[in-house]
Amino acid sequence: MSTAGQLAGRTERADAMQARDIAINVPTVTVDDPITKAVRVMAVNRLPGLIVVDDRARPWTVLPGTQVLRLAVPQSYQEDPALARVVDEGHADLFWMELADRTVGDVAPNHRAKPATVRADATLLEVAALMARQHSPLVAVIDDDGALVGAITLDRLITSLAVYTGED
Amino acid sequence: MSAVLALAIFLVAFFFIATEKANKVKVVLVAAGLMAVFGLVPGSEVFFSEHSGIDWNVIFLLFGMMIIVGIVKQTGVFDYLAIWAAKKARGRPYRLMVMLMVITAIASPFLDNVTTIMLVAPVTIVVCNRLRIAAQPYLIAEVLASNIGGAATLIGDPPNIIIGSRAGLTFTDFLVHMAPIVAVVFVVFVLLTKVLFRKSFQYNAEHVEAVMALQEKRAITDPAMLRRCLIVFTGVVIGFGLHAVLHLDPAIVALVGAGVMLLVTRADVNDVLAEVEWPTLTFFMGLFVMVAGLVHTGVIETVGTWAVSAFGDNYFAAATALLFGSSVLGAFFDNIPYVATMTPVVEGMVAEIPDAATGQSLWWAFALGADFGGNGTAVAASANVVALGIAARAGHRISFWQFTRYGIVVTLISTVMAWVYVWLRYF
Repeated sequence: MSTAGQLAGRTERADAMQARDIAINVPTVTVDDPITKAVRVMAVNRLPGLIVVDDRARPWTVLPGTQVLRLAVPQSYQEDPALARVVDEGHADLFWMELADRTVGDVAPNHRAKPATVRADATLLEVAALMARQHSPLVAVIDDDGALVGAITLDRLITSLAVYTGED
Repeated sequence: MSAVLALAIFLVAFFFIATEKANKVKVVLVAAGLMAVFGLVPGSEVFFSEHSGIDWNVIFLLFGMMIIVGIVKQTGVFDYLAIWAAKKARGRPYRLMVMLMVITAIASPFLDNVTTIMLVAPVTIVVCNRLRIAAQPYLIAEVLASNIGGAATLIGDPPNIIIGSRAGLTFTDFLVHMAPIVAVVFVVFVLLTKVLFRKSFQYNAEHVEAVMALQEKRAITDPAMLRRCLIVFTGVVIGFGLHAVLHLDPAIVALVGAGVMLLVTRADVNDVLAEVEWPTLTFFMGLFVMVAGLVHTGVIETVGTWAVSAFGDNYFAAATALLFGSSVLGAFFDNIPYVATMTPVVEGMVAEIPDAATGQSLWWAFALGADFGGNGTAVAASANVVALGIAARAGHRISFWQFTRYGIVVTLISTVMAWVYVWLRYF
């Protein structure tokens, strides 16, 4: 096949792929769930982030893994590195305990960014651009009503691009 | 007609600021814009008139100090001091509270109150968590101590910066006239806390070892940077104090100090500029334009004339009204917009007094009332609001009334003491 033919074929296949084709089902949490549960959901399911949904199952926010950590680390330690340094080793691993029963909603930032969401018919280019722009390895896929229908992880996107549009 | 319009814009904006129904920066920007668009304040004076436009001395003094504080807080010195104090207290609750209050009260005259609380409150929570005791009494005591201590100097509390600039009062003036009564009020306050918080003091001897395990020496990673910071900071304070010799405005001293500190500590400029509270500076600018609208349309002059005729030559009555009035109003509204609005009124009253020393006493009565009023309620000063936010995020929620029931007592006592001081010293 000529180079032009390969490119045309690749383009055709890439166009055929939409967000809904590579979306997977992922467990979600709500703003009322404890942070400890949110972290556990992410860890057990080996997710690169978390989707927080509202009471109508619409994405409220999409948090990359580092931002989930941000919920879990008391804000005073994040803002003051000196304070984090003074905590002795015996207690340093126990900062989780300070979270007690606080929920995702309690510690979520006041100024939430627009959730990283794409429509089910979005192209893989749209998905990739959104992930790059929002530094998010996780994107929520929504239907016309804004309800969550699935999610795309960075790993899933890269794999799909490599498998379906890569060199033979 | 223009006066009515200016007053209407001002009152609506003040309502939204006081009730926090809208973002206060947006409110002052809209109000300032309306004042300018309707011609209630000439555009040229907005930027270039010191007394009826944006007071750049205030803006740049705040800006310079924000840069200095942004660098100083990177040194970890406050974490070190607070943990050192907690270890010295060995978990004894009143001793711990006194040491934390003393650190706060010593820092707050030189740093703004919000920064002081942001530095001391988190480490207080860590210590209280270790001791398994409620952090709320300690945080409330620190905020009250911070508002009292901040009253001592020109740079300790934003109302003082505004008053100092508009009244032409120097750093030394504040030290001579405000610091003595602030020191006395602080000592009384420290004794009072033993009674106020007596039911909250809890001694958990079994958890003291957890506090002793904290490693305060690790807070300071760069002792050389700390030394340089302290030297420059001392130079800045001396620069403020030598105003009569150097004739340098405090804003210039702060800006030069900020530049020198950036140079000698090799701090990252972008990191430090990120520490500058741009919304606060914008809020001040908008506020000055709002007040300028009232000045230009004669509203302030009318109020000032009324005040002068009401008190006549009974200047002690005027000082009393200013002190108690500012304390009460400062307790229910954020004391910054209150002071920005009232300053031109007080300026007009002082201008009518033939004796300069008596005139200055009105400024001190005004400053003491506004500063001590900042302790009155949970929303009276920015430091109070910040402390409540930090406490809530750390799971030690402080309700409006929990703070206010202590704040009212402290405000009442400190205001009465200030009134006696003004009476004995100036009349």
